[in-house]
Amino acid sequence: MKTRKNTSQRRLDRRRFVREAGIGAGLFPFIAGLPSLRDIETPAARPRKRLVIVFSPNGTLPGEFWPDNFGDDQPLQFKSMLSALDPFADQTLMLHGVHNKIRGDGDNHMRGMSCLLTATELRSGNIQGGSDAPAGWANGISVDQEVRNFFQANPETRTRFGSLEFGVAVPNRADPWTRMVYSGADQPVAPIDNPAVMFRRLYGGGQDRELVGSVLDQVKDDLRRLESSLAVEDREMLLQHMQHVRELENGIEAAAQQERLQHPEPEIDPEIELVNDNTPDISRMQIDMMVNALANDLTRVATLQFMRSVGQARMRWLDVQEGHHSLSHEPDDNKEAYEKLKRINSWFSGELAYLARRLAETPEPGGDGSNMLDNTQIVWLNELGKGNSHSLNNIPFMLIGGGCGFRNGRALELGGQAHNRLWLSIAHGLGHDRLETFGTARHCAEGPLALN
Amino acid sequence: MALACLSVICCIIAGAICELSLNEAKRVGAVSMPSSISVRNVVDVSTAQSISSIDAEAIYQEKCASCHGADGSGNEDEYDEPLWGDLTVTELTRVISETMPEDDPDSCTGEEALEVARYIYEKFYSRSAAQTRGFVAPPRVQLQRLTIARYRNSVADLLAAFSPAGMQQRDFSEAARGLNGIYYQSDGMNKAESEKLRRVDPAIDFDFGNGSPADGISSEQFFVIWNGAFEAPHTGYYEFRISSPNGFKLFINCDPEGVHGKHRDDSSKRLQVPLLDGWVSSSEMRELSGRVFLLGGRTYPVRLEFFKYKEASSSIRLDWKPPHGVWGPLDEQNLVAELVPATFVIDTPFPADDRSDGYERGTSVSSQWLDSISQASVSVADAVVQRLPLFLGNNYANEAGRISAKDFVVRFARRSWRRELSPDEKLLFESVFEVEEDVDAAIRRAVVMALSSPHFLYTNLPREAGADETASRLALTLWDSIPDGQLLAAAEQSALATEQQLREQAARMLNDPRARAKLSGFFEHWLEIGHRDFSKDKQLYPDFDEEVIADLRLSLELFVSRVVWSETSDFRELLLADYLLLNPRLRELYPGEGEATAQEPSTAFEPIVFESEGRAGVLTHPYLLSAFAYHNNSSPIHRGVFLTRNIMGRSIRPPPEAVAFEESEFAANLTMREKITQLTRGTACMSCHSVINPMGFVLEEFDAVGRLRTIENDQPVDTESDYTAADGTTITIRSAREVAEYAALSPSAHRVFVGQLFQHLTKQNLSAFGPDAEDNLMRSFEQNEFNIRELVIDMALLAASGNNISDDEANSE
Repeated sequence: MKTRKNTSQRRLDRRRFVREAGIGAGLFPFIAGLPSLRDIETPAARPRKRLVIVFSPNGTLPGEFWPDNFGDDQPLQFKSMLSALDPFADQTLMLHGVHNKIRGDGDNHMRGMSCLLTATELRSGNIQGGSDAPAGWANGISVDQEVRNFFQANPETRTRFGSLEFGVAVPNRADPWTRMVYSGADQPVAPIDNPAVMFRRLYGGGQDRELVGSVLDQVKDDLRRLESSLAVEDREMLLQHMQHVRELENGIEAAAQQERLQHPEPEIDPEIELVNDNTPDISRMQIDMMVNALANDLTRVATLQFMRSVGQARMRWLDVQEGHHSLSHEPDDNKEAYEKLKRINSWFSGELAYLARRLAETPEPGGDGSNMLDNTQIVWLNELGKGNSHSLNNIPFMLIGGGCGFRNGRALELGGQAHNRLWLSIAHGLGHDRLETFGTARHCAEGPLALN
Repeated sequence: MALACLSVICCIIAGAICELSLNEAKRVGAVSMPSSISVRNVVDVSTAQSISSIDAEAIYQEKCASCHGADGSGNEDEYDEPLWGDLTVTELTRVISETMPEDDPDSCTGEEALEVARYIYEKFYSRSAAQTRGFVAPPRVQLQRLTIARYRNSVADLLAAFSPAGMQQRDFSEAARGLNGIYYQSDGMNKAESEKLRRVDPAIDFDFGNGSPADGISSEQFFVIWNGAFEAPHTGYYEFRISSPNGFKLFINCDPEGVHGKHRDDSSKRLQVPLLDGWVSSSEMRELSGRVFLLGGRTYPVRLEFFKYKEASSSIRLDWKPPHGVWGPLDEQNLVAELVPATFVIDTPFPADDRSDGYERGTSVSSQWLDSISQASVSVADAVVQRLPLFLGNNYANEAGRISAKDFVVRFARRSWRRELSPDEKLLFESVFEVEEDVDAAIRRAVVMALSSPHFLYTNLPREAGADETASRLALTLWDSIPDGQLLAAAEQSALATEQQLREQAARMLNDPRARAKLSGFFEHWLEIGHRDFSKDKQLYPDFDEEVIADLRLSLELFVSRVVWSETSDFRELLLADYLLLNPRLRELYPGEGEATAQEPSTAFEPIVFESEGRAGVLTHPYLLSAFAYHNNSSPIHRGVFLTRNIMGRSIRPPPEAVAFEESEFAANLTMREKITQLTRGTACMSCHSVINPMGFVLEEFDAVGRLRTIENDQPVDTESDYTAADGTTITIRSAREVAEYAALSPSAHRVFVGQLFQHLTKQNLSAFGPDAEDNLMRSFEQNEFNIRELVIDMALLAASGNNISDDEANSE
């Protein structure tokens, strides 16, 4: 047997995300040495290319998702399920005929999820799905992390976080159904589905300082009052304490100045309860923070994972009482289930539209008239092509925005290409054009898909 | 008998190092600092009124005043410090005879030197005279901030106090040792398991191969939960490691969950994060490790979930590495098969507390400290908000909940400030709900406000003497923490008034693991167990590795707690015990120490009676003998200084000049004793080394790792010396046991123990609690047959009811 060492240092919740954020105890003094979070006012030499990947689970309804007309000369026209995206039709590229061809261990949900962004096989393992052999984690890096590493390797494109992994209603367990982002083989990255945690990660230092700052007047009052009642010998320490409190006040003020964001942090309810029925609010909070983080150039790569593969979200806000995954198993002629799935996927498309709108509303710095959507590549995807067939063919890939410079406003029929090739196209489109293969190499023989 | 050479009295060279490390030199120096405890020896007969015709004052003015000033206050061109200290008249006499005046040491000797010594002693040298002269400030209880340990323990207990379980630390002496193992048959991976076996496993180290763990469980798939708790002996980072080719999750310090067959969590609500998550595996043997910061003296929950699904084989092993320890199994020595609540531990780094007097005190503040407590207060606020449903119920955020939330912040401030709030202070805390609309935000603000306040951060503030203050002092003294519910209840019911009531509370509190941890901290300090250099010559001592060092430390710690928590708790037993606690590994390295009582091979530490009559308690514990030694030989000076100062209780000033021990400078055929004798033969050296060396030489029968030896450098070991005691009498000592027997009866040995223990417990000097405080404690210690626990209780009572912050207040009481 081989022995593999893997050292992780994890502590309790908050400490962990604080550390991940690089703003926590031990790594980061309370006020000293703040990194500049301020946006660079001058226009960037080259536009900031960004990648945003949005996942929704359990397959789509192909008859409602795919448009009637494909081809270069056919302007893209969404069906009613996707009507929320109508304003962005000319900035959208839909790709039919892109398959997840990864086989091997694990059932289709598992491979659908964990091979989606990695485009490589799962390791053998101890997790049993509904069929096939049990499997472990994916055996390679995911495309978002590949792009992240590419960006981080270059000072011009490097950002504070490199990438941010958002989640909405992701269950509290780690297995191939719940993870799509991998920093490497066997190294899944957990999405953060608690807006409060994400908020603290992004803006926590300032928030903590503000909190401490808010009580310092009281501390000074107490010190003053106590000092007068002390013996002379004991006053010295309180006087010093007072002196340090004044310094801290100044430090907090200076830090607030220094890290003033060009785009102020979004107003969110940091204490929202993580329950199913709050999902719509949580989704919007996460999107707001994502857009803000992109706008402030805290990151250029972000993922947003709704639930998980086989997720059983009960979308009561859509008047759907059943679990999503159970519904997705219903045959097409179950009109009621079909109608509900339509509502569910329509809701997801609305969240996509919200994201696109927020980006489109935000101008790029430099005043050249472009907006963030022009330079951001959104990819909406799913672990299955169709829920009730568990097919990994015809994954509903929808590309929105101008990040990769693809020719938008159309739907293409690609006739069964491995999705590895799509990830090559995305990577090349974002400037990572020396990448020759991604994931399982034999699926990459024909190079990136031509989407320009 | 002189303890310090004259040149030391005349010209203390800051940072001078003789054979001592810098730290030791600082500590020695600290003995003479005004705020430190007095380790005066008993004033001897020579202080009796002089009947001599010699005019001591005239001699002083003629021969001494040019350097020391007419009144002993010094002369800035010569000896610019006031002349005062802890030497006895006898000792002073010897110093004067041998070394003074510096330009002509022979001009003041014999009776003349004695009379001058008496004169000096009475006029300004003794502590009380020095106080009168204003050379040294009168001792007083100092204002202090919470030490790091006090801060961390207080917030841990503060959060526990509002939890259903409260801040009680349970006693697990009767609990089953190990972890509860619940073994399930699984079906279709993780589904519909049925429990097949429940037992207590003393350790987690199983290799099931390709088989089944128990009857009725298939070899293909099964699931096991182990749960229980472990005792953390020290504060620091604990590392944990799981080795397994299968799936597992290890939870450390997470609240225990109800045992259920389900082990797939589809909620996204739960906040428990496994320290090690190896749930998904690929049948390869893996080692995952992680670390977590914990406070010593507490018991923490541990839960390990484990499953096999169709892998070829299954095995699992749980190891840990506690602070000061090495990797080894986490097993029945530290595990109890009980469920305990999690403890909130602040792992914010703090700047180190002042230890210049040898014990941690909160006598200074810095911007880093303020930074740390600010950061920590935010962490506590986070933790409080996270636990609000537990503290206040799930509906705390609604209108009715706001009322209980208001009440909560007042109670929180009251617990953290260790006293009732004034009406204004209550209003202040309630007003956070006017500033912050959101309940969580309001509570966060209140928590940060409470914990940033000097009322939380400082002890010994001028407060009204009363039951709250008494409870606070008891809790700080015995636990380094806040009062618990029982103590507060007693305070409220006026049941902290009589000595009997206080004694009962102190006795109860002393039995708590927090008190045990605090006491073991004292022994760490008294015996200088801390971070020491144990690197040894690999050729000479090939077996002396990290494991042995960790075992030795544990052996010493176990020995001390065995004595302290035995029925008699006899201080003398620490010095005189005729056994070592050894485990099999140590028994191999220290084979000559006697036979094991148990025949069964055991990993445990067992008492092994010495074969050598020379061994005695802590004096010859191999950990200390190894710590106070060179890499290739004994170090009589290090050992001698340790015995002189920590055991015999005599003060030694820092050496006048740095003299390094260079082995190459001596003839190769000399013994270590001969080399040291040669090195220290100068008159200036001998004024201290005449005391230090005999103490070191009796330990010459132990080599650099504390093993017995009779031959050193091809010559028989010579341990015999004449030792001059503080009262001037000379005795011949041949073995550590004789030293131990002498020390066990020696008031100065008792005094240094009492003084240091008091400092460790209260962070204050004993002398600040009145001129009789030391004598009273000493008397009581002796009357109680040197019972250490009774002494601690006496000290807690003294701290609880003793001197207040200012002398005025003390006088008015």
